[in-house]
Amino acid sequence: MHMDNYKNPRDNFFKEIENINHPDETLVPTHCSYCAMQCGMNLRVNTKTNKIIGVEPRYDWPVTLGKMCPKGVTAYQQTNHPDRLLKPLIRDDASLKGTKKGFREASWEEAYDLIVKKFKQLQADYGKDSLSVYGGVSMTNEKCYLNGKFARVALQTKYLDYNGRFCMASAASGINRSLGIDRGSTVPWTDIPETDCLFLAGSNTADCHPTMMFRVWAVQERGGYLIVVDPRETPVARRADVHLDLRPGTDLALANGILHILIKNGHTDDDFVKKHTNGFEETKELVKQFTPEYTSQITGVAPEKIIKAAELYGKAPNAILLFARGIEQQVKGVDNVSAYINLALVTGNIGRPKAGVGTITGQGNGQGGREHGQKADALPGYRKITDPEHVKEVAKVWGIEPEEMPGEGVSAFELFGLMEKKVIRSMYLLCSNPVVSAPDSNYVRKVLKQLDFMVVSDFFLSESAEYGDVVLPTTTWSEDEGTTTNVEGRVIKINRAQMPLGESKPDWLIQVELAERLGRGKYFSHLKTSEDVFNELRLASKGGKADYYGVTWEKIKKQDGVFWPCTKEEDPGTPHMFLDKKFYFPDGKAKILALPYVPAAEEPDEEFPLHLTTGRVVYHYLSGNQTRRIQFLKDMCPEPFVEVHPETAKKYDIEHEERVRLFTRRGEVIYKVKLTEAIRKDTLFVPYHWDFEQAANILTNPALDPISKMPEFKACAAQIEKLEMKKVQ
Amino acid sequence: MKKRLYLELENCIGCRSCLAACTQCGGHEERNRNYVYDVNPLVDRQTMPLMCLHCVNPACARSCPAQAIQIHETGAVLSALVEKCIGCQNCTIACPYGIPKFDTEQNLMYKCDLCIDRSKDGIPPMCASVCPTNTLQWLTDEEIEQKQNKFNLDNGKWVTSMPYLEGETNVKVNLPGILQGISKLY
Repeated sequence: MHMDNYKNPRDNFFKEIENINHPDETLVPTHCSYCAMQCGMNLRVNTKTNKIIGVEPRYDWPVTLGKMCPKGVTAYQQTNHPDRLLKPLIRDDASLKGTKKGFREASWEEAYDLIVKKFKQLQADYGKDSLSVYGGVSMTNEKCYLNGKFARVALQTKYLDYNGRFCMASAASGINRSLGIDRGSTVPWTDIPETDCLFLAGSNTADCHPTMMFRVWAVQERGGYLIVVDPRETPVARRADVHLDLRPGTDLALANGILHILIKNGHTDDDFVKKHTNGFEETKELVKQFTPEYTSQITGVAPEKIIKAAELYGKAPNAILLFARGIEQQVKGVDNVSAYINLALVTGNIGRPKAGVGTITGQGNGQGGREHGQKADALPGYRKITDPEHVKEVAKVWGIEPEEMPGEGVSAFELFGLMEKKVIRSMYLLCSNPVVSAPDSNYVRKVLKQLDFMVVSDFFLSESAEYGDVVLPTTTWSEDEGTTTNVEGRVIKINRAQMPLGESKPDWLIQVELAERLGRGKYFSHLKTSEDVFNELRLASKGGKADYYGVTWEKIKKQDGVFWPCTKEEDPGTPHMFLDKKFYFPDGKAKILALPYVPAAEEPDEEFPLHLTTGRVVYHYLSGNQTRRIQFLKDMCPEPFVEVHPETAKKYDIEHEERVRLFTRRGEVIYKVKLTEAIRKDTLFVPYHWDFEQAANILTNPALDPISKMPEFKACAAQIEKLEMKKVQ
Repeated sequence: MKKRLYLELENCIGCRSCLAACTQCGGHEERNRNYVYDVNPLVDRQTMPLMCLHCVNPACARSCPAQAIQIHETGAVLSALVEKCIGCQNCTIACPYGIPKFDTEQNLMYKCDLCIDRSKDGIPPMCASVCPTNTLQWLTDEEIEQKQNKFNLDNGKWVTSMPYLEGETNVKVNLPGILQGISKLY
């Protein structure tokens, strides 16, 4: 095991500090397992037991300077957690699917044999595409890349997709459409405190990306401005210079309304618009109707706040505009993203330091995981599977004929539709928990139960693993090494701190071994280490938009990460995008887009008069499969709740901490009420990290964005009811 | 150069990372020694940490009948010496902020020691190391003075309650109000 493959430049300094370097301990520098901030941390490893026993701040990591949120501080407790799966599990009685019951421990050989037998049988009976692979982007780039290759080359199915569809898919599509390339953020995070106006649209930064908060506050401490768009007065909105407290699902109108003022009040950079963009005139025409009064009618935001936000953004010498799931998880998520990018393009706030746009990516490797072919329509290097040239390039690296490349599949949620229709008979699920994270979870559970055969790879028995016929024990992030690409687009290195617990194996190794048993070893057997996988990824991405060819593990270590694109070995990478003002379109011009407003797929009505929106709390991560098992996080937030404005509560005669029935057209859940004035009166909020009876996604609307196929988690119509009332009736 | 813990209360987002990190300091026996409060939970999301302020003349130590609470040469008011503490809880009652916690099983008091094995060597305590918002900072007296000048409201007061809250403390606190007195860039 190589502990010394990342030398901390301040090691010598720290050696002197007894509280940092304990006897019989070594520190392994790495990054957090959770969100895309990928905070630097040092894992404390006992050198006698070779087990991870704690965490120490990594002060010299330039993005986070040792800072960690409570999830990060306790992340190490996952590795040796008593709930870890240590051996493969097989369940022979399919009637027990959807429960924890009926699993027996098995050897890897028996598990592999069963998987291979079932996969071959299903493909013989129903064709190659009867199998599907459902991945996730909390995995390293190596695993995400190999997962795409495994589906297309080992299983030869077109049905591959991933949980990024519930996370960054709208941002990716919108940024690609407007700028021609999706490098998440056009500026490094270290630029944030230097900007003059920070515009956060649909980001509850304090709860979801806490370790960027010190940079957010620094903007204000310098005298800069903070604008926050959110239906709730979140901890970051609380201190904003302008808080645009809009109705859920109306972001597109708000962005158009701000653009209206920017144009009307002369805040456009006409030279930039003329030289570097297309589409301004048409867009100008469209936003004419979005006067502050008209915009206010749709969004519920006071006209003077809309004007103030536009003025502050328009007058800023430098402005950074960041957006997140709040605007992206809507049926018009892609349009919302482009509409906000419009603001940066008309004011020329892009393509220079301290000015830019970006999505605050959710999952740990949300950026890298969407670039290298784990998506129904994508191949490594952000290539398209529908482009014959792209297919040819990747087929060559993989050693297959272009004709052998499966075609385009369908998005994550659409996979469930094909399972329901029995087009897809089996799923191999890894690094995801769609039973909790997908919308309309009652439907998802029903469909998974019908599958002929399901394989799940996870390190805990997640709610989705409870539907598996075979569950494979995989490693946690700290027992394997590889790279991730953080929120900035910086490729960084995850280091191994402990050997895999029990019989667990990293997913890349599982896929190589499965491919060999499926008779496809010649395409996989050369991959002996995760660095071998990375080096193949470099080749496969070479020449694509997300070009990693020049990124090496060595270079990541030397320069604290490498920003892609990085096309040559001597290329240090690209921290700032578009400094030459060349956007990734044939004419080099970015697209300002005229985007007509459409309401949410489900608007409140008489029967369901309230808006329901979902989101996160700081103590939990995604489906909660990891964080719900960590004692400190569980203690801090043991159960979900519904946030209700006191005036709304009064109307329904409900009180703080009372349990109420919350229901939508898709289902009902009983939640404890949390009264707060920090939410709109017409809106309810529920965090989504819990399972079964408490799952917010029993309520959410699976309406999909037509481009990104992102479900509308952030807006649907709901009603609440006092529990006693029901009894009386 | 001597550094102090400095609290910028307005920055707090209530993530309680300081509590989680406190348990990680060697010698803290995985028990946290600070507090974070929701200031007005039914109204807004303001939160604030409550840390030991390491009083220059600490009431906890003065009230201790067993002289179990020692003051380190750096000024840090240490946790009660296990061999001396008699579990009387005088310290918790005497402290104007109720900081010392009590372990009923061991019948022992425990409190913030400013991660003394870190802070005596100039490394920030765990809470200030991880704090994602810079609510908890580890600053030199010069840096604290700069902040005092920067946020001077020109009304004879700093936005913090100065010169100190109850008695003189080694930890410095800026009460909510950081944005007052800042001149905007444009």
